[in-house]
Amino acid sequence: MNFESILTGVMNDASWGRSLGLFAPELILCVSIVALLLLRLVNADRWLPSYLIPLFASLTALGIAVYSFFQMHGAIEGIPTPGTTQTMFTGLLAYDSLTLFLRVFLLGFLALVVTLTMLSGIPDAEDGPDFYTLLLGSTIGMMLMSSANHLLILFLGIEMTSVPSYAMVGFLKGRRVSSEAAFKYVVYGAGAAGVMLYGISLLGGLTGTLEMPVLASRLSALLGPGGMNDPTSRTVALAAMMVLVGLAFKLSVFPFHFWCPDAFEGAAAEVGGYLSVASKGAAFALLVRFLLAFTGGTSVDLTSLNLALGVGLGVVAAATATFGNLAAYSQTNVKRLLAYSTIAHAGYMLMGVAAMVVLLNGPGGVDAAAKGEAATCIEGLLYYLAVYLFMNLGAFAIVAFIRNEIYSEEISDYAGLGRQVPLLGACMMICLFSLIGLPPFGGFVGKFMIFASLFQAGKIHMAMWVILVIGTLNTIFSLFYYLRVLKVMFLESRPEGARRARVSFMPSGAFVLLVTLPLLLLGASPLVNSMSDAATRVASMLVAAVR
Amino acid sequence: MAGVDLTAYLLVGAVLFVCGIVCMATKRNGIGVLMGVELVLNGANVNFVAFSRYTSLGLDGQMMSLFVIVLAAAEAAIALAIALNFYNNHQTIDVDRGSELQG
Repeated sequence: MNFESILTGVMNDASWGRSLGLFAPELILCVSIVALLLLRLVNADRWLPSYLIPLFASLTALGIAVYSFFQMHGAIEGIPTPGTTQTMFTGLLAYDSLTLFLRVFLLGFLALVVTLTMLSGIPDAEDGPDFYTLLLGSTIGMMLMSSANHLLILFLGIEMTSVPSYAMVGFLKGRRVSSEAAFKYVVYGAGAAGVMLYGISLLGGLTGTLEMPVLASRLSALLGPGGMNDPTSRTVALAAMMVLVGLAFKLSVFPFHFWCPDAFEGAAAEVGGYLSVASKGAAFALLVRFLLAFTGGTSVDLTSLNLALGVGLGVVAAATATFGNLAAYSQTNVKRLLAYSTIAHAGYMLMGVAAMVVLLNGPGGVDAAAKGEAATCIEGLLYYLAVYLFMNLGAFAIVAFIRNEIYSEEISDYAGLGRQVPLLGACMMICLFSLIGLPPFGGFVGKFMIFASLFQAGKIHMAMWVILVIGTLNTIFSLFYYLRVLKVMFLESRPEGARRARVSFMPSGAFVLLVTLPLLLLGASPLVNSMSDAATRVASMLVAAVR
Repeated sequence: MAGVDLTAYLLVGAVLFVCGIVCMATKRNGIGVLMGVELVLNGANVNFVAFSRYTSLGLDGQMMSLFVIVLAAAEAAIALAIALNFYNNHQTIDVDRGSELQG
């Protein structure tokens, strides 16, 4: 095999028909980044508002992603359904249902965030092109994360997401807190990435491959009997743990959550909203992919290792939810409170992932029943993510619009705002009720699905029932601090001489309403069924690939 | 190169990794912490290159280390820019002095 034949092989694989065509949404974002940077050379940013290019690019890419999502699920008549799972670029990226689901999720969210920044005006005309370059770049990184099929892409995706996020957190250059937040974020983030890379090197050296689909079979052949007394098992466990440290950092899971409240408080509310939803969604997709790569095979030792991993993840999830909720009590800053609530929600979602691992590694092995139940866990996770997008973006958008009016993000300064701007107040109430998980809002359905899958997993390992109880108790704890915000907004009266907030219906109020309405639709309307059907199909296609 | 086996390379990688972690944990100077990160990344790189020579990992390991070298440069660039911004606002790069965000 000479160089030329390798080159032709790669060129054929990357051709438009094989890979590049499937990669079109990412390519559109790449082109728009180049356009954003080049247009400055001809001073086009003087007369062209900088948000137009990213808005147009994200909507176009979203259209393509939605089309290919329905195409894969055979919902469009007359178009033959391509194979369920295929790979792009010589096996580096997976092109399956999860890839497409996350593409729609991320691109839709990107379009909403660009609209939000357009309305709230946080990057001014001067900084706009820079800001949107970073925003689009990190979205491409997240799309790579969610379609990673190779440990190289796992690392590159995480880094491509993180590096622009560091800059976005520190984007308000002159502010002391913003620079401190970015500095802490970059120091923690770089450290976690280094640890993860070392874990990947151990995993690659042990198994002799970096491709995720073959990891499980290589590991089953490798692991000797004797559990943790076997040095190879210990090294595999260490390597897996190191990779999970890097992922846990992105998910802001206890004990790697320290950066999250600081970064969110220092950053603008728009950036906080973006990071809390998009990077979480992509990191959960990547976590599911990584854990599924470990699952399967015939080795009993690998199964017991995975079971321990699943229970460990569940314990970490319970600790994360508890810590996030307890720390949120004493907060006086809204963005910091929402950051701790983000941590708590990462805990709830991680419980679903832990249940999936436990169910797939039960005594029955990976049979049809286990696959069905594991698919329910992923379904719950995806539903939760979809609801989470709207409730968190809604809350952060309201914080941003109120900041533009009263120049403050302290909870005490929110006194009486619920009556002064009734629309924002009502929408905030819906978002917070959904974050608590009260029916009839979408948060209830998502939480119910995750707790149901925890209950199923409890039949395999008792610890999952304990985690379920802790999760339920946490939901009740969280009631108090969310309600405190509402109490300040609605029951207290606006003090004399406080700045009057005026938020007009068009366009800010309409945007908030647009983001909040899906919470009702996803909580109590026929949309619940169609959404969960879509999530079920994605999950079962994903689990079907596990052998 | 007779007599040098995989273990020797892994040992160098592990020593670099531990030095980097200790450096990150003990240095209070922001630039010092970032140097620790570089050590960790290069420890992993030594591992990758050694594995690609001695195990069936093959070219994948070398490709990975090339990507990591480029990525380390990108990360250092952004980290130094943020450190400079922190210095402009605080007149220090002592990581312990960034204590306005707490709770």
